[in-house]
Amino acid sequence: MQGDLRLGAAMAPNASAPTDVPDRVSPHRIRVVDAALDCIARQGTAKTTVDDVAHGAGVSRATVYRVFPGGKDELLGAVAETEIARLFSALGARMGAAEELSDVLVIGIVEAVTRITRHPALTYMIAHEPDVVLGRLAFDESNRLLATASRFISPFLIRWMDPEEAARVAEWATRIVLSYCIAPTSEMDLTDPARARHLVGTLVLPGIRALRAPDRSQPVDLVPIAADRAKHAGRVHQVDYLQTYPTTTTHSEGDVQ
Amino acid sequence: MEDTRQRIIEATYACVARWGVAKTTVEDAAREAAVSRATVYRHFPGGRDELIHDVVVWELFAFFGRLYDEVRGAESLEAVMERGISFAHRSIQEHEVLQRVMQTEPETLLPTITVESNRIRDAIAGFLVPYLHQHGLAPGVDPDEAGDFLARMVLSYMGSPGRWDLDDPAQVSELVRGELLAGVVVGPEPGKRPD
Repeated sequence: MQGDLRLGAAMAPNASAPTDVPDRVSPHRIRVVDAALDCIARQGTAKTTVDDVAHGAGVSRATVYRVFPGGKDELLGAVAETEIARLFSALGARMGAAEELSDVLVIGIVEAVTRITRHPALTYMIAHEPDVVLGRLAFDESNRLLATASRFISPFLIRWMDPEEAARVAEWATRIVLSYCIAPTSEMDLTDPARARHLVGTLVLPGIRALRAPDRSQPVDLVPIAADRAKHAGRVHQVDYLQTYPTTTTHSEGDVQ
Repeated sequence: MEDTRQRIIEATYACVARWGVAKTTVEDAAREAAVSRATVYRHFPGGRDELIHDVVVWELFAFFGRLYDEVRGAESLEAVMERGISFAHRSIQEHEVLQRVMQTEPETLLPTITVESNRIRDAIAGFLVPYLHQHGLAPGVDPDEAGDFLARMVLSYMGSPGRWDLDDPAQVSELVRGELLAGVVVGPEPGKRPD
């Protein structure tokens, strides 16, 4: 999956692919990444130094460089990658447990918008160094992000639709999340499950029904296509991400005050 | 007074087209517009940053002005959205200066575009709401909410087509009648549908 996380890769364009692969499951790795997140949430990416991160993690500078031989660029790439993986694994856990299509969409949208808009490091960056973030959300970068997110989300939808429709709806849902994260409005606060349910119920589900019955001559019930398909949906991704990136601390609701 | 301001903006745009945003200086703009440096600062007291910001806004609004001209004669909601998305997609693809800046120095444009996109979104929503009323909304759909939602989606697809080939009119039509309008409006009026 590494190669798919283009956002992370793109944040470290100069990080060379080391021939001796650093120990990705090093106990220091997550600690260093989390210390970097704390630094970024306080002072942004530009001011954060490897020394700051080493100090925050309680390790030596040499240890940081042993885990991230590419230094700060590689570390920032790993931070982005880790946070995307954490977002996806949180989404996977919650969406995988939902029983109805509307719940999958509502829970996915609320979870994603909440985690993104209340992410301390991201919030600091959007306020103080917006160009670092926005470059990843526009035009070609955005197309890559849409593709990555859609590939992750569509397995959660194939219980109710065929893979082609699922890919379409997954990309659509990703656009909704991105739009309301980039430009939130008080009228449509998608961290509020009731508002998200209203949006999904009035604007999204009817659109999905229309995809399934283009002539709209008969109503389509959005019932599961095959119960056992759901058993496969998402689980693989979820386990994959959780094994690679143990979530030792969460950077969502609880951290924000 | 306004003529001079406009001349400086157009001169700055010419410099950006030639050298890019980062390399364009107040001196370049002044020389290109055949005015003094002091004149540039009189019109743009914030200097280079204000000048670049105003050039981006000027070109952005020129773009949406052309988009408005393209869609305002359209008779149906579907036609407005199809023509608008196709035109916007084509214009962005063919906009050489925008494409070059986005490839080489996107960070110089994006903060301005992001801030301005709120105003643009409101303008698109405001343009669409009368069409929504005319077309008839699906039960439970609030016109302002739907207008805002459609404007967001239109901006998303025109900036990043994702899996859609927006050069293909058939795909644009499918997108408009599916994701964009299916939940918002009641079924198509008899005779308005091409198929």
